[in-house]
Amino acid sequence: MTEPERILLIEDDKRIREFVSSALEAEGYRVFEAGSAAWGATEAAKHKPHLVMLDLGLPDRDGTEFIRDFRGWSSVPILIISARTEEKGKVEALDAGADDYLTKPFGVPELLARVRALLRRAPAQRLDSNPIIRFGDFTIDCVSRTVSRNGEPIKLSQIEYRLLLAMAGNPGRVLTHRQLLIQVWGGQAAGNHEYLRVYVGHLRQKIEMNPAQPRHIQTEIGIGYRFNPDFNL
Amino acid sequence: MFFSRLIGKRLSLKGYVVAAFYILAGTLLTAPLRDVLDLSNVALLYVLAVVLTGVRYGRGVAIFAALVGSLVFAYVFVPPHFSLAITEVQYLLSAVIMLVVALLVGHVTANLRTHTEVVEAQAARNKALYEFARQLTATRSSEAVIDTSLRFLERSFAARQVHFVEPEHFDSAANALADIALIKASLERKQLLTRPTDVPAIVVAVLPLLPAESGHGVICLQVDGSQLETQAQRELLETVGSLVAVALERTHYAEVAQAAELRHAGESLRNTILSSLSHDIRTPLTALVGTADTLMLATTLSPEKQHALLYGLREQAQSINQFVNNLLDMARLQSGNVELNLAWQPIEEVVGATLQQVKSIADTREIGLAIAPGLPPVMIDAVLIERALWNLLENAIKYSPEDSPVELNIRQLGEEIDIAVCDRGEGLPTEDVEALFGLFQRGHAESSIPGAGLGLAIVKGIAEAHQGRLWATRREGGGSCFHITLPLGKTPCLGLEEDA
Repeated sequence: MTEPERILLIEDDKRIREFVSSALEAEGYRVFEAGSAAWGATEAAKHKPHLVMLDLGLPDRDGTEFIRDFRGWSSVPILIISARTEEKGKVEALDAGADDYLTKPFGVPELLARVRALLRRAPAQRLDSNPIIRFGDFTIDCVSRTVSRNGEPIKLSQIEYRLLLAMAGNPGRVLTHRQLLIQVWGGQAAGNHEYLRVYVGHLRQKIEMNPAQPRHIQTEIGIGYRFNPDFNL
Repeated sequence: MFFSRLIGKRLSLKGYVVAAFYILAGTLLTAPLRDVLDLSNVALLYVLAVVLTGVRYGRGVAIFAALVGSLVFAYVFVPPHFSLAITEVQYLLSAVIMLVVALLVGHVTANLRTHTEVVEAQAARNKALYEFARQLTATRSSEAVIDTSLRFLERSFAARQVHFVEPEHFDSAANALADIALIKASLERKQLLTRPTDVPAIVVAVLPLLPAESGHGVICLQVDGSQLETQAQRELLETVGSLVAVALERTHYAEVAQAAELRHAGESLRNTILSSLSHDIRTPLTALVGTADTLMLATTLSPEKQHALLYGLREQAQSINQFVNNLLDMARLQSGNVELNLAWQPIEEVVGATLQQVKSIADTREIGLAIAPGLPPVMIDAVLIERALWNLLENAIKYSPEDSPVELNIRQLGEEIDIAVCDRGEGLPTEDVEALFGLFQRGHAESSIPGAGLGLAIVKGIAEAHQGRLWATRREGGGSCFHITLPLGKTPCLGLEEDA
């Protein structure tokens, strides 16, 4: 039997800690709890978790600062827990290096789906030499820089290709507007959200069955986009 | 003052010249006929000249015309001709009577003229006052009253540096024009007081606004002394003062009444919020506590029953969450300082994200989507517009039969984008549809459908924050459509790559 995956839960509310850890433990994960950022940092150093769940509203420190420090020495996925009205805080945390977020109140199925997606992605990240990305009926060949659906090539512009690659290379992960702009256009374009929206629109026209109700390139309102590689997440 | 006197003098000089001209011309015209015309008829011609000049130029000219006329008459017409010597008593009598008549007539006509002038000036003053009073009636606030009054004084009295001084500013430095002693004296004696300035002929006037309950302010102004020379002029200014005072009084009480009304509206809103809160939070909470207790105490429940209860528990909690979200949104919108996070974006994107969310609560419900092709991007706060759309869709789903479709139609209407959410529910109330958009308003006050009447008020708030609006129409064949209309604005020009 393989060793259970370790999850560090940093959350100051005891009731939420209780229900989250019991839900995760029921799924076979090993959960370590921490009630503050400082405590969380110690636990992280001690137990080397595979995933960190972090509440943005911690009593001792700003969650985003914690992420910046943590990213200095670890690349394990970070899942943010935040209250609904904090779009700005979420974007900052994601820009700082968090991978995904959950909005309070969240349900257990949603929580487990996110945790599974992040843990599944983690080992795959190390295989980034793989030149072929597959999702749905599509195949991206990173060597020949071509995209095809069921073997039929699809014509994409330079930017559309780079945008698709940026998203499909991070399946399930929320990418902020800023992250995508920097990755596709470069640092000087970080503020031009209009570009991004126009090209996402073009890309959806080409790869989505119904561009108005996209399945692959999902909008996270006020935050960015999430790439969903299969239809049923 | 000096200037106006000069004008007066010039006018009267002109009168004397005209009178002399009339007499000379009349004399020259009638002189050849002096053998034909009777002497008394000629005398009447001179009287005519006196009347004409008297009406036009006043008493002085009339007397002048009478004297000159009599002399010329005696010199030219009374025998012996071209001599002032009057040989017969009868002729002397003619000349004297003519002089007396001319003087009398001149005096009367000149009086008449003065009188007309006074009446005309009075009428002009009355008209100006009437116009001023009318303007004051139209004012709604103290600021408007003061503003109108100051402009009136500047216009009608050629006054400068007109300003209103409130009692608390009597001795402040801002009030450099009039000193406090003058203001106090004017208020005590309840009349207009003036003080000369360094500039000759310019005076500072202090006009007390007496009956004002809202504080005994004054109006200070700098004005040409000639504007306040006569009693009538001073009275006019004082009348203006009392008009302003009355208008200030009126707006003061109107403002007091409005504040009271606002307070009252606030109180009734608070009451509605309290009763709504107690109903809409207590009901799901009661169910929540009850269900949890049932699950804890009843150990013999079948697993299916347990599952059903747990499912209900979750539903209730979600409904409280929805309510709290709405309350928070409303509080944010009502606080008045919503900062819109505006960005150009295709409306499809927001719609797609909203539908994705709606699917999570009503995945069996058929939601028809029709987006007109080629819509320009809109400048919106995506998070807020998503909230608005979500609220409209949630309403449509909640208030229409399970098996009826809900439709979302988006199209361009002129310079606006129109987002319509249509259902086949029971439709709109027959009257006062707008009331539905109010805070804590519901179609039916007591309804089994959960909700607090916040949804539409939030949508309205969001639409208005975007300079748009919310409106509703009845649908042919039953049901209703709720529209959000947003202005399109000028689409930005993006430097897009061409190889696509």
